[in-house]
Amino acid sequence: MKFRGGHNILLLGRPEGVVRVMPEPEVLYLPLRSRRFVFSEVVVKDGQHVNNGDTLAKDPNNYDVRLLSPRAGVVRLNKDENHIVLEEVAKHEEHVDMAKEELSHIEREMGAGGIKRYRLNVLGAWQFFYDAHTGALPDPLGTPQAIIVSTVSLEPFVARGDVQLHKRLSNFTRGLEQLQSLLEYQPIYLVLPDIKSEFANLIRNHIRGHAWAKMVEIPLTYPYDDFAILARKLGLKRNEGPVWAVRTEGVLAVDRALTLSKPCLIRIVSIGGTGVNSPTHIKVMPGYPIQMIRDKYVFESVARMINGGILTGELLGTETLGLDTECRGITILPELKDREFLGFIRPGWDRSCYAACYLSSLRERFSERFTTGLRGEGRPCISCSFCEEVCPAGIIPHLIHKYLYRDLIEEVEQARVDLCIECGLCSFVCPSKIDLVQQFVDAKRLIEQEKEEIRQEQERQEKLRQEESARKSIKEGIE
Amino acid sequence: MKRLLKIIEAVRPTFEEGGKLHAFKPVFGALEHFFFAPSTTTIGAPHVRDPLDLKRLMSMVIISVVPSVLAAFYFFGLRFILMIIVSYAAGLTVEAIFAMVRKEGINEGFFVTGILFPLILPPGVPLWMVGLGVAFGVFIGKELFGGTGRNIFNPALVGRCFLALAYPKAMSASWFEPSSGLTGRLFEYFSVDPSAVDAVTVATPLAQAKGGEMCSISHLFLGSVSGSAGETSAILIILGGVFLLFTRVASWRTVVSILGSFIVLTWALIGGGAVKCGIPGVFGPVMWHLFAGGLLFGAFFMATDPVTSPTMNAGKWLYGITIGSITVLIRNFTGYVEGVTFAILLGNIVAPILDEIVIGIRIRRLRSEG
Repeated sequence: MKFRGGHNILLLGRPEGVVRVMPEPEVLYLPLRSRRFVFSEVVVKDGQHVNNGDTLAKDPNNYDVRLLSPRAGVVRLNKDENHIVLEEVAKHEEHVDMAKEELSHIEREMGAGGIKRYRLNVLGAWQFFYDAHTGALPDPLGTPQAIIVSTVSLEPFVARGDVQLHKRLSNFTRGLEQLQSLLEYQPIYLVLPDIKSEFANLIRNHIRGHAWAKMVEIPLTYPYDDFAILARKLGLKRNEGPVWAVRTEGVLAVDRALTLSKPCLIRIVSIGGTGVNSPTHIKVMPGYPIQMIRDKYVFESVARMINGGILTGELLGTETLGLDTECRGITILPELKDREFLGFIRPGWDRSCYAACYLSSLRERFSERFTTGLRGEGRPCISCSFCEEVCPAGIIPHLIHKYLYRDLIEEVEQARVDLCIECGLCSFVCPSKIDLVQQFVDAKRLIEQEKEEIRQEQERQEKLRQEESARKSIKEGIE
Repeated sequence: MKRLLKIIEAVRPTFEEGGKLHAFKPVFGALEHFFFAPSTTTIGAPHVRDPLDLKRLMSMVIISVVPSVLAAFYFFGLRFILMIIVSYAAGLTVEAIFAMVRKEGINEGFFVTGILFPLILPPGVPLWMVGLGVAFGVFIGKELFGGTGRNIFNPALVGRCFLALAYPKAMSASWFEPSSGLTGRLFEYFSVDPSAVDAVTVATPLAQAKGGEMCSISHLFLGSVSGSAGETSAILIILGGVFLLFTRVASWRTVVSILGSFIVLTWALIGGGAVKCGIPGVFGPVMWHLFAGGLLFGAFFMATDPVTSPTMNAGKWLYGITIGSITVLIRNFTGYVEGVTFAILLGNIVAPILDEIVIGIRIRRLRSEG
């Protein structure tokens, strides 16, 4: 992982570039929650037989994004309150769950473009889309000012773009064309690590003659693949309309949904981290039992499972039984067990450090074994400004931290805490072990809440005023 | 090792809530974490952390002054050990009392102050003055502002400034001729016999220069001149300082701007020649001024303290230029022979203002983003 400020560390447990197939499971546990979605509207009944690609649940707050059944099976709703359990799992011919009359209705309402977007949602490809600025699910019927397609995933460890693209380049370019057909004249920015590489040339040959695709080169430096950073770099302003962003797997899903009319049920997920015996990529479906992955890949007895990468991933608690629909990687980190004796005066040949304070800076790059240890005590900020040096968003984390310490919310807002992309680098390098990211997340939420309250208050006042004036006019009418 | 951990676990309840020695918990915590890294783990993202902690960061500063400490032993005798011990003991007492009152952990910041303070004192200063100075510096310069991370002034410099103003006579009588020869004073205690003081007291090069007498640059470079315990040998300070810059604990911007502005201004004053000064012949060659007195030590180890210097890079440049220029002005145009202490303290005063300006500009620029 290379990041701003010139640090380049290697973590032990980088997934290798092959995709392995996992054995077919007998039971699937589909979590009703994932990072962005809460599938609260369950549309199947207990005991119902479902087929591959049937809709199991929807998220009414996220444009009815669907939880699809990845396999045929029998639905059990009461086994676990956070999951839809699928028993007697079998692999059937894929089947498309789209009622003809509904389609024709939509065609009348929204035209051919509307149908495509509807199909993306029903076939499970829409969940791969992000709003570049907010990270939320964009409105499928909206018009973006541009689409960013990123083939790079830099965070250790999530499924890499090059692995997913292997042997599927033509699908990818076909997906790009399908994406373009959703737009009128808006550009598609294709983000690549090296636009002169053989791989980029292949893509260029495939999409030759299409003026809408623009290639953008980014350094392989975490987190320059973040969509908010990319949008800022490309000069796409927030107030000029939404920017859709999608990764490799999303483009492949679009191709599958629109070209083949088939649902996207399989994901490529990385298995990495220090606690894994053979880090790799696996081909699984959502709901795949985590216990099976654990049995096969994890050798550490006390290990933390993380849904996502090492810097932004969420803790995968024991209450989660299966992979959720948004999972891009599972990272396994051993928990800290031994307390180090006189750790701070050791030469530190085995640990690399942002500030070159260990002997390992004289050494070539090496893979480091990380644990979940905080590696120090919490202390007040000493303004070393390491956090500012690494911050990819160009804000000043230590300043915002000090404002927050003094409860100066207005100053925090002015210091643009909203530009924070929660990449986790400031917390990572902080020698005082301050949890900066968490503080910023809380602050952002607080500011949003306050803004929302102000907006509601204004609406109420407006309503009162209108009622008042209406009453007045009635009175005048009577008189 | 395991036995020690067992002992720590065994006595822990005494210091916990409700234990007999609960008030001394910060002391216990400091000792425990001195020997064993804490067992805390990350709660959420990011799940891994950089190995660097504040203990290590501060140890780097201590490592970087080791050459100067060794030089102090060589030039001024083993009495310097006592000065270090007294400095640590007095300062730690103040620090521990405040930690207990505030119910916080003892901060590592003091370990740096404790070693830097004796290094900037005249080698013959009475031990009670070492203790008093460091206690004053830690108390007024740091704890009253809220402890490490919140202080405005460099505590070591506050202590030194206090001693210089409160006991000018005792301070000026404490400069000694450094030893020469193969082993120096490595095997002598170098007793300060009050009656013998006058016999060995020697003016520092800068004081001599004010009288029109200048020593050679090579002496300044190697350190065989009178001066504060740790500041005499330019080469060893540069050695440690470059190490500190390499580890990124100290900001190279501060050091470069202090030394750069100092060199440029001194050079201009010498070259100009038109500057009429009360004492003729004050301006020696630029390098001589650079190596004389506490400038290098101050630039590398004192001004670079991240807490008391500006946090923004542009602010650091301005801060360095302020310190460098003020040093030149104090040294050459006032009654004081040495100006670095005052210059850095003045720099500490302007640091928050410089930060405010730079941050204001930065935030104005951020406003149009996204």
